[in-house]
Amino acid sequence: MIFKISLSALLISSFLFATQDMKKWLRPLEVPQPMDNKLTSERVELGKLLYFDARLSSSEQFSCATCHSPKRGWTDLEPVSKALGAGRGPRNSPTILNAGYQNRQFWDGRVKTLEEQALGPIEADVEMNMPLDELIAKLDKIDGYVKLFNQAYPSEGGITKITLAKAIASFERTVVSTIAPFDKYAMGDKKAISKKAVAGFDLFKGKAHCMDCHDNFNFSNGSFHNIGLNDGELQGKELGRYLTKQRAAWYGAFKTPTLRDVTKSAPYFHDGSVKTLEEATSICSSGGRYANGVKNKSTFMLDRKLSQTEIDKIVSFLKTLEGPDMKLEVPSKFPQ
Amino acid sequence: MNKFLKFLLASLAISASVNAQNHVIDQSGKTFIPSKITVRVGDTITFKNSDPFAHNAYTDEENNEFDVGMQAPSKETVITIKSADSFNVECAIHPNMLLEVIVK
Ligand code: HEC
Ligand code: HEC
Ligand SMILES: [Cu+2]
Repeated sequence: MIFKISLSALLISSFLFATQDMKKWLRPLEVPQPMDNKLTSERVELGKLLYFDARLSSSEQFSCATCHSPKRGWTDLEPVSKALGAGRGPRNSPTILNAGYQNRQFWDGRVKTLEEQALGPIEADVEMNMPLDELIAKLDKIDGYVKLFNQAYPSEGGITKITLAKAIASFERTVVSTIAPFDKYAMGDKKAISKKAVAGFDLFKGKAHCMDCHDNFNFSNGSFHNIGLNDGELQGKELGRYLTKQRAAWYGAFKTPTLRDVTKSAPYFHDGSVKTLEEATSICSSGGRYANGVKNKSTFMLDRKLSQTEIDKIVSFLKTLEGPDMKLEVPSKFPQ
Repeated sequence: MNKFLKFLLASLAISASVNAQNHVIDQSGKTFIPSKITVRVGDTITFKNSDPFAHNAYTDEENNEFDVGMQAPSKETVITIKSADSFNVECAIHPNMLLEVIVK
């Protein structure tokens, strides 16, 4: 706790030193919280237990952390996870880092809040395959959980879908990025990152136009784009947000992912088809994997004509977005 | 219907459209400007795109549903308020863009 306070004191004082145009790159200290689910330590602790507890899956083998592990950049490091989600192709499991700041969840943005998001994977047969009614009956028999739910959500009716979702979402809201070398640079410590990385940052904001989409402290403005990973008619490949509603602007469009800690979460893109940051940068700066004939390709996706040296500079900048792992005690004992 | 009634109805319709107001919403710097407006049924909203890239204002609110579609820079699109239900407009590309429309 003392650690936390001194850290935020450091952040607050540093905020004062960051120049106006650099402030947008620093994570706001307070994560947005819904009125009916403000963060409390009871809620976060309960959510953490649920997040890591494999008893939430029918096989008792999978927890949220199986696919979003803190040891693997909050992902599973697999190209695509087995999580299919009704009618959608297999997708890369995204990091949950800073997910609390997003106003759309999933690659296709099909839900808004972490509360709405949390119950999906538990019931999905390809994920945890656990009908919620059964799960709630199961948790109700674990005295330890009954007690913790009543403490975290007094007079909200004990263990329900709603309190379950609220608790998991509360823990997720505490999974946030730490101070990376780039943040120290943004706060005014000009030596915190190499000259090469500074040059990369300038390209990122300027010539390479990465900032058109990867903007603000989370290096994502939450926007949806078809970046031309697949060719014209997508040939049965993922249609992205178009699957949620057939709006022309959503054809083959996916959410711009955060680039915080991006070094920890390879492989990349919604289909996990890219292994390195060099390749990802090269695709994003050359007008997409398919230059021509892509239906609804974003107008931001143009060939920026970068040299290999320039791509290397951008990659060395992306590496400065890696912060130390957040302090976290992964539970080893679960309520009985 | 007799002629007089038809005339009356037609002139009523005209006077209604004279009273209807147009409200201009600019899309600039990935924001709707202004971000909150009060309108009446029959009013129109003109969506202007001052950014150098496309926007796509829409709402899925049942009674006032509309979709401007991909709107290129410097284009304008007009929509009409059909029902007295307030709603929020979002951009399909930039979901951080929000416009609150209060219908009186
Ligand atoms: C079998 C692997 C798997 C399991 C288990 C799993 N997830 Fe996921 N998760 C995924 C995949 C794949 C996606 C992306 C799906 C998509 O976008 O359609 C995802 C997406 C998410 C997102 C959205 C992140 C973003 O940036 O859009 C959050 C938050 C999340 N999961 C949290 C959880 C929680 C909480 C649990 C446990 C209740 C959980 N996941 C269990 C694979 C998994
Ligand atoms: C048109 C908006 C846009 C621009 C411009 C853009 N990106 Fe992206 N970027 C995206 C989207 C959208 C994705 C995810 C696409 C998908 O998976 O289908 C992405 C994915 C990535 C990823 C993979 C991250 C992950 O976790 O999977 C990296 C790395 C990346 N971009 C870096 C860059 C760099 C560097 C630049 C500048 C050269 C850049 N991007 C320019 C929108 C953009
Ligand atoms: Cu927009």
